[in-house]
Amino acid sequence: MSPHGVVDRPGPFCTIQDLGRRTGRRAGLAPGGAMDQRAYLWANRLLGNDPAAAALEITLGGFALRFAVETAVALTGADCAATLDGVETGAWRTVRARPGQELRLGYSATGMRAFVAFPGGLVVPTAFGSASAVVRDGWPGLLGRPLRAGEPLRWREPARACPVRRVPRELVPPDTASLTLPLIVGYEWAEFSNADRERVFDAEWTVDPASDRTAGRLAGPALGSGPRVLDSTPLVDGTVQVTGDGLPLVFMRDRPTIGGYAKLGSVDPIALDAFAQARPGTSIRFARADPDALRRALARRERFFGIRHAP
Amino acid sequence: MITFPGPVSALVTLPVAPDRDGIARVLDLERFAREELPDLRTTIPAFNRLLVEGSPHSWNATDVESRLAAGAGACLAAAPGIDAGDPVSLPVCYDPELAPDLEAVAANAGVGVAEVARLHSGTTYAVLATGFAPGFAYMGDVDARIAMPRLTTPRPRVEPGSVGIADRRTGIYPAAGPGGWRLIGRVPAAFFADAAERIARFRPGGSVEFRPIDRDEYEAGGG
Repeated sequence: MSPHGVVDRPGPFCTIQDLGRRTGRRAGLAPGGAMDQRAYLWANRLLGNDPAAAALEITLGGFALRFAVETAVALTGADCAATLDGVETGAWRTVRARPGQELRLGYSATGMRAFVAFPGGLVVPTAFGSASAVVRDGWPGLLGRPLRAGEPLRWREPARACPVRRVPRELVPPDTASLTLPLIVGYEWAEFSNADRERVFDAEWTVDPASDRTAGRLAGPALGSGPRVLDSTPLVDGTVQVTGDGLPLVFMRDRPTIGGYAKLGSVDPIALDAFAQARPGTSIRFARADPDALRRALARRERFFGIRHAP
Repeated sequence: MITFPGPVSALVTLPVAPDRDGIARVLDLERFAREELPDLRTTIPAFNRLLVEGSPHSWNATDVESRLAAGAGACLAAAPGIDAGDPVSLPVCYDPELAPDLEAVAANAGVGVAEVARLHSGTTYAVLATGFAPGFAYMGDVDARIAMPRLTTPRPRVEPGSVGIADRRTGIYPAAGPGGWRLIGRVPAAFFADAAERIARFRPGGSVEFRPIDRDEYEAGGG
């Protein structure tokens, strides 16, 4: 089967992602999935794809793809000054391409991750219902490694007519030098000292460069390590765990399913999207969240993007 | 105790020991939750806890709390429905060359390494939780004589198949990576080569036995 496109340059870390692994968490599998789910969902929506269609997550840019067919793609997420045969394309839109043309992404000046979606979604292997690559879970092939130079790609409906579409400007998330993360307090929250609990909402941290797809690590004031947790506890998305050095980390898509350190609670799942785009040095604060307001926002998002959950 | 760690999740901690009976009661509660709560998307049992995650379209924390409280009460009142199934049997080579902490555990227990092997392989373990990494199982309880806390500083690299002890828990590292458990033996790596097989091997509430093998049999199994 001849490819519909070939990745000339994958950049520092380019993986295949989708909405993540809904099943298998009970067996210890990381959820995986697009770090910035909003940007990923928009990319598929621009093309009229299924919201869970497999796409590329391109960390920091430095990416090039040569097309072998006439087709379209959608670009969202971090602005990497994308060009098609040298002509700027803009982002948060669909782009039509002809055979032989090359889509290039420069290095992003703001944001961490760009997304490229394809009509019908990439044709790639799945495990536990998802094509998301989780390197730490040790899957074979593209389920367990980043793309390499020369990687051939195929997508389901290369010839499908895709009108030029843009995400409305007011819906494109702004770049930001500071983020406030809504925090649902829980887990061992009540067992942290009063001083620590106050500090969580007063202090300012910054995103540490050691952050990755597993966790966003925060640098700044240290908390007491909190209570000793005797047995690892099941985690939810965005769980905030305080490790031995007293610094909080926010678990992201490639997180473990259970964790053994003291935990403050969890970050609003929707706020994880902006956090996934926060460059090292971005200022981070926590604010107390209303869990039911977050639940309603999650429900709105699932309705808007047409996300369905099989029982 | 029931808490709500996320916008559509509840975490139940049963007031029982995190042992074979404890995980059996948690699994009873999981069955109850699967039947009684609408639109559950994920359940994760671990030790004496159960996490349930629902749908943002139907989640009602007050309703979930009252149903889980009733379910937990019923599970605590009844005998635990233990369904350990056939034990998973794994060969282990207890050899100091393959297991950097075997001699330290023996010294700490005041016995020889052969006795550590005998004590470790003389028990049928219960899987108390899975997770940390896919295919990793927390098993208990290890004989108190060979129990030891984990290393203060984790090793940067543990070989796949390494059998470790942390307090009264034992587990096998399914893949290479950092780890702080005391390593006392090695299962041939071939048992961890296939991702799907590795992930499916252990289930919470299941039972596991270790069969001591010598170095020749270990090497014959692919080392």
